[in-house]
Amino acid sequence: MITVEHLTKRFRDTIAVNDLDFEVHPGVVTGFLGPNGSGKSTTMRIILGLDRPTKGQATVKGKRYAELRDPLHEVGALLDAKAIHPGRSARNHLRSLAASNRIPFSRVDEVLEFVGIASVANKKVGNFSLGMSQRLGIAGALLGDPEILLFDEPVNGLDPEGIRWIRDFFRSLANEGRTVFVSSHLMSEMAVSADQIVVIGRGKLITQGSIDELTASAKGSVFVRANNHQQLLNALRAKQGTVTEQNDDGLSVSDLSAEEIGQIAFDAGVVIYELTPQRASLEEVFMDLTSDSVEYGSTGVRRES
Amino acid sequence: MSRDVSLGSVVRSEWIKFRSVRSTVVGVVVTLFLTLGLGALVTVLTRLHWNVVTPLQRATFDPVSTSLVGVLFAQFAVGVIGSLFVTSEFSTGSIRTTLSAVPKRYELALGKLIVLVASMFVIGEVASFATFSIGQAIFSGVVPTASLSNSSVLRAVVFAGLYLTLLSVLAFSLGLLLRQSAACISVYVSILLIIPIIALFLPTSWQDDMRRFLPSEMGHAMISTASVPNNFGATTSLVVLVGYVAALFAVGVVVFTRRDA
Ligand SMILES: Nc1ncnc2c1ncn2[C@@H]1O[C@H](COP(=O)(O)OP(=O)(O)OP(=O)(O)O)[C@@H](O)[C@H]1O
Ligand SMILES: [Mg+2]
Repeated sequence: MITVEHLTKRFRDTIAVNDLDFEVHPGVVTGFLGPNGSGKSTTMRIILGLDRPTKGQATVKGKRYAELRDPLHEVGALLDAKAIHPGRSARNHLRSLAASNRIPFSRVDEVLEFVGIASVANKKVGNFSLGMSQRLGIAGALLGDPEILLFDEPVNGLDPEGIRWIRDFFRSLANEGRTVFVSSHLMSEMAVSADQIVVIGRGKLITQGSIDELTASAKGSVFVRANNHQQLLNALRAKQGTVTEQNDDGLSVSDLSAEEIGQIAFDAGVVIYELTPQRASLEEVFMDLTSDSVEYGSTGVRRES
Repeated sequence: MSRDVSLGSVVRSEWIKFRSVRSTVVGVVVTLFLTLGLGALVTVLTRLHWNVVTPLQRATFDPVSTSLVGVLFAQFAVGVIGSLFVTSEFSTGSIRTTLSAVPKRYELALGKLIVLVASMFVIGEVASFATFSIGQAIFSGVVPTASLSNSSVLRAVVFAGLYLTLLSVLAFSLGLLLRQSAACISVYVSILLIIPIIALFLPTSWQDDMRRFLPSEMGHAMISTASVPNNFGATTSLVVLVGYVAALFAVGVVVFTRRDA
């Protein structure tokens, strides 16, 4: 279990993390979602005791990271796959990590085998592709067989096969009762791999909960096809409905339920051919949630929230 | 149950890191090459020119420091070894992985220090005993030689190795403070080369008072059998140098512990 309480981190002139509160529980995969520069990596660094919070705290199993007795047995983390000395072999890199926590070297060969890079174990890490480095980083996180795992954007650089492998792998770690905390800036990725999500924007918590709750709470719309679209449109507008899309096929209506639309159409004497509630995709939910807090918008204009 | 992470396990881990990169291997080869190569060069030249050396020069000639002079060049190589041992962790970002395995930063710094001191002591002593022996062999028959059975000779040779060890720790401590390899090595070279040159422009009386505090002058005193004019004696030099290095290391550890990694 990871607990983040009133966490704030200021770098000279930027507030990277702003009064953040959330918990990450065992047995599920928790996605940590936010646009670029929203403070995900900073939060993870603070959890690992690498950066000192300006205010608040982050604890792992109720303790600050530096107080953990056997860090690699308790927490495994992968922050940046390329942050390894390029001149060292994969095996020596893992052996140095293992030695620091009294993990037997046989475990190094086991994890190398498990992530599928045993054949290049004696090659210099500097020659590794990003995908191979990611696998090496995951091997490092698994060394101590920890209960809690943190991964910062782990699917970066993986091929489709690798992405599927890592999703199944996270799932199996969670099924074993471990705490799995994975950051991403892609909602679509989280939609398929996470159970719970924590969404942040500009360092602030936007929402947290299960993926299902989040989609359910999202504004949906209803697609209507009728015999007279113009007449229906007028009737809906009179009842505060918002028509978001109109074409020859039909209308997309938000702010009104299917039942309300049916009643309005009936009262207006319009014949309905089709009435389909549509759930917002998670991607839409995410865009909607974070639209006010995108740090680096593509328009180049910084929007104030 | 004892903790899995202890100073001993950190030392084992850091030893694997220290020996598994090329920069260490190259650094050690260069250290030996500079100590032995320059030692051989200087002793051969001394032997060839011995017949034109004045009686006064002969009277103050020190066969020990002459044969150990390569150490004053090898100090740059051990500085590179010491600084890269820590700055490479910052430049590659691997310091974050290291600290997630060893979160107590003083423990990490101490572990690295032990590995550095132990290995540089062995390399420094091997280099200084070897260059001393080669130098005396080159001198023999023509130039007066010194023997290790003389305690002040033995002291100078042992101190030469210690000087190299201490300077690698000086550079390492600068690395903890400055984090960047280039900045660290520049400052290190400035301390050894540039400050003594600046000192040359000071009034002579100041120079005489000041020079003995320069690490390079302490090195000179440490590898000599006789006392060097205006310098501390060999043992005082060693003690002051240990003081410098310990103070800088302590500051380095405090800064390293406080700053974000
Ligand atoms: N060491 C630092 N010094 C100064 N500013 C920093 C530092 N680290 C992060 N920041 C700033 O803090 C903010 C949050 O950065 P962070 O890297 O945590 O975001 P992120 O959510 O991980 O983004 P991304 O999706 O791009 O990885 C950014 O504005 C960044 O510029
Ligand atoms: Mg990031």
